[in-house]
Amino acid sequence: MMNRISPHARLRRRGWLTGIAALGLAGLLAGCAGGGSPAEPSGDGYTPPAKDFAAEITYGVWDQTQVDAINANIEGFNKEYPNIKVNVNVTPWGDYWTKLQTQGSSSTLPDIFWMNGPNFQLYASNGMFEPITSIVDGGYIKPADYPKALIDLYTLDGVSYGVPKDFDTIAVWYNKALFAKAGVEVPKAGWTWDDIQTKAKAISTALSGDGIYGIAAATDGQSGYYDTILQAGGDVISADGKKTGYGTPEAAAGIQFWTDLITSGASPNIQQLSDTPALTWFTSGKAAMFQGGSWQRNAMVQSDIKDDVQVVELPKGERQATVIHGVANVVSAKSANKQAAQALQVYLASKAAQEQQGEMGAVIPAFNGTQQAFVDSIPQYDLQVFLDAIAYSFPYPVSKNTSAWAGLEAEILLPAFNGDVSVDKANAELATKVQAALDAE
Amino acid sequence: MTSPAVRMSGSRRAHGRGSEAKRYGSHLFAHIVLVLGGFAMALPFLWQIIMSLSSNAEVTSVPPTFFPRELRFDNYLAVFDVMPFFSQLGVSIWITVIRVVVQIILCTFAGYAFARMRFRGRGLMLALVLAILMVPSQVYLLSQYQIVQNLGLLDTVAGIVAPGLFSAFGTFLMRQFFLGLPVELEEAARLDGANPFQIFWKIMLPLTGPAVSALAILVVLFSWNELLWPLVVSTRSDAAPLSVGLAALAGVPTVNYPVLMAASVLTMAPILILFIILQRRVIEGLAFTGIK
Amino acid sequence: MTLSLRTVRTPVVSTPDRRRSAGPARTDGWWPWAFVAPLFLGVCVFYLWPILQTVYFSFTKFGVFGGQTWIGAANWARLVQDPDFYRAILNTLIYSAIVLLGIPVAVFLASLINRPGLRFASLYRVLFFLPYIAMPVAISLVWRMMFNGDFGIINYALSLVGIDGPHWLSTPGLALISVSLVGFWGSFGLAILILGAGLKNIPVELYEAAELDGATPWRRFRSVTVPLLSPSVFFVTIITIIGSFQLFDALYAMLGPNNPVMPATQSLVFYFYENGFIRNDKGFAAAIALAILVIIGIVTVIQFRLQKRWVNYD
Repeated sequence: MMNRISPHARLRRRGWLTGIAALGLAGLLAGCAGGGSPAEPSGDGYTPPAKDFAAEITYGVWDQTQVDAINANIEGFNKEYPNIKVNVNVTPWGDYWTKLQTQGSSSTLPDIFWMNGPNFQLYASNGMFEPITSIVDGGYIKPADYPKALIDLYTLDGVSYGVPKDFDTIAVWYNKALFAKAGVEVPKAGWTWDDIQTKAKAISTALSGDGIYGIAAATDGQSGYYDTILQAGGDVISADGKKTGYGTPEAAAGIQFWTDLITSGASPNIQQLSDTPALTWFTSGKAAMFQGGSWQRNAMVQSDIKDDVQVVELPKGERQATVIHGVANVVSAKSANKQAAQALQVYLASKAAQEQQGEMGAVIPAFNGTQQAFVDSIPQYDLQVFLDAIAYSFPYPVSKNTSAWAGLEAEILLPAFNGDVSVDKANAELATKVQAALDAE
Repeated sequence: MTSPAVRMSGSRRAHGRGSEAKRYGSHLFAHIVLVLGGFAMALPFLWQIIMSLSSNAEVTSVPPTFFPRELRFDNYLAVFDVMPFFSQLGVSIWITVIRVVVQIILCTFAGYAFARMRFRGRGLMLALVLAILMVPSQVYLLSQYQIVQNLGLLDTVAGIVAPGLFSAFGTFLMRQFFLGLPVELEEAARLDGANPFQIFWKIMLPLTGPAVSALAILVVLFSWNELLWPLVVSTRSDAAPLSVGLAALAGVPTVNYPVLMAASVLTMAPILILFIILQRRVIEGLAFTGIK
Repeated sequence: MTLSLRTVRTPVVSTPDRRRSAGPARTDGWWPWAFVAPLFLGVCVFYLWPILQTVYFSFTKFGVFGGQTWIGAANWARLVQDPDFYRAILNTLIYSAIVLLGIPVAVFLASLINRPGLRFASLYRVLFFLPYIAMPVAISLVWRMMFNGDFGIINYALSLVGIDGPHWLSTPGLALISVSLVGFWGSFGLAILILGAGLKNIPVELYEAAELDGATPWRRFRSVTVPLLSPSVFFVTIITIIGSFQLFDALYAMLGPNNPVMPATQSLVFYFYENGFIRNDKGFAAAIALAILVIIGIVTVIQFRLQKRWVNYD
């Protein structure tokens, strides 16, 4: 489950574990590599190793539930390269980044490992990754086979470093039974901001006696305000990562969307959502809608309300939009077995390997056209909406040091969602502070 | 000053039974206060068990569900799917046993030397050892991590236990204990020509029962419940103790409450059971620590 | 790691120095070194050296992928100007004060439990001791559910008497009180045991004499129990304060780092954690850690000074 990154709500929450370990880590190591300039695209271009090439490499991942699928992939890889031994090293999400940072500091990164959007530029700008330029030039991987937003996510200053492995998008999960009970018509594709506000309000009003709300507002970026800011026609961070979109009327509208849901009583307020997470409001049958990601399908199908759940695309504002995020496989610039690691990177990106990932179920594979297995994994839910969302998806907003400003967002926005601070004031404050953080990068 | 051991035996309990009622009035008031207070102490544990046997909907119901419609013991089975419980239990037991044994040995020797032996620098060394009692454990973390990493002990039981083997507190406890023992015992042995090790081993060590059991109990509690350090040094979940496993589970947003509660019951259960079995000894041992 | 400080204790109080009576100068040769060396080496490596290193860290800035840069006293200058630092000190003091309120209660409870002839005394001791052995992370998760503003049993109990309970853990001010109440709840176990041991050491003859003089029970409590129990009370006070200054686990597990009230509620150690781990500013965090050390040191020295006024060792 936890494979998806990133609402930083989640980033910070698990930060306890992560962070704690981070303690010891970075920076302590004597000598300390890193801190250098972005990797020079290395002179020696990629060529596939000989079939009998012998090497032993490490593949660093964080999701135990995907290990079966990964092992199946490696089996396929070993049919091609029987003498390249791959050790899969699973580090739980909570400690993954801490450990990676330590390893980056001591030049002991795994040969090939998973990367996410918020951390990508930090590592890339410190020269931690081997670019995929020569792999692409050699035609071993075609960027057009993957959603463009994901290729862009792993590109810095025109150089690509990561090959997308999977992705996730956002939609609205809803509880049919609660809609019926409130006498409100369930949402349909093509619905709008007005519709979601009206329906949520109507359900809250009808079912207030039972303590049931129309929606449990998302208070994080990935499944919340990033999407609505994009839907309002704005952006969070400009494509070049230099300029914030906060402070614009579009950002204000995207923030206002959540403030309206909460202050109208359509959603529990920030205190309530802090005591009980939005997902729990939904899965315990206390909220009729929940804006969330494709990765939450397991939580839905394991919940007490599983037979009442359905999913529909995000409502439309000025335009249709969702954030897309995906994990990528990257090769360490300092790997001693770079050629073998790159061979694995290429194999994992292949259509065959990606299809296998999809069939084994844990993720939505990134290779275009291999995703049907995901849709079929839980036939009672209309999971197709997550795939259709690619058409209107925008990359997860990142910059060189994403964590420097991502922490500010929650701090400043939560009081605005609750109506304690005006949206304009919060928007202006974010514009100043986020821009300052970007300028400092 | 009598030795703590003697004091503990309760030789002072000389109150005459006859005059009790007169002197203390009825015990009714005491029972009422203590029952209410005891209930307040136990309530979170009871509620934890109830929640661990409920459904997710019952946990979030209004009014609260005090008696779940059906007792869902499968919440406990689910724990084994969401965390590597048994390997973490093994790690917890291992680190606890190792720490108890090693701390008792090191602290007893050092405590005795600080209490009864003479050597240059004793005062300074003792002051340095005691000074670390005042330092919040977070201060050490960064460096300890680096040391353990340099020793190649990350993700190992040895790495988790290493700093906890050397206890300033335990040393102090044992020193205070030895200070309280009468010197005459040693002097007789010394006159018989025993060397310091023989004196320690044959004469003093057999007397350390109460102090050692108090120390052991505290080390068990500390070791079982400790979170921050094992969290830092164990990056693989199956090499981590239960406290880390539970904290990690609590951070998984999709885990449901009853399963989380069941996990927290299972995590605390071994120590609670041990406590209930050994309660008399535990309570006497700990009360001992309060005696100078 | 030292034992968690809630168990740490005491003052080297009035221990008679028996070394002098050990006879004419004798030498123990190299034996003492053999006895002390294993422990002392470990203490040097894992505790004393880290403290020195932390002092150095506090004058540096850490790079993302390692490396420290010497920045002089900049971290310290920033610390003394940071309003969050003072807020964290204040929060820690408030927490300590509330937990300290448990001590008089513990004295009262200990005197009840230790009444001669009281039945079920050991059962009561066990009950009050339960919170002490509970794993902080585990039990904090339970409290978090109990304090839940919408579904928690605390607000349900309040609703029975017509009170509309607040969102305890997500309302500024109340969150700190809630966490403090849990600290208060957990503070009785060890205190009752230690105080109970102290009570047993009060000679019964003193009570009898007071009784013969016609002293009321309250008067006997004031004139006999309180002064003779003062060393135990002092000891409990010291360990409670040192333990309170380490507040972290409960705060973390009950509120969660992402809680909007955290900035207003954080303790000193959480403030250290926030900067060192979440914001990854380890040089600054080292300065905070040392500041915590200094504050605990000052508070403890003050307590030892004050003890002369009220602690009776005779």
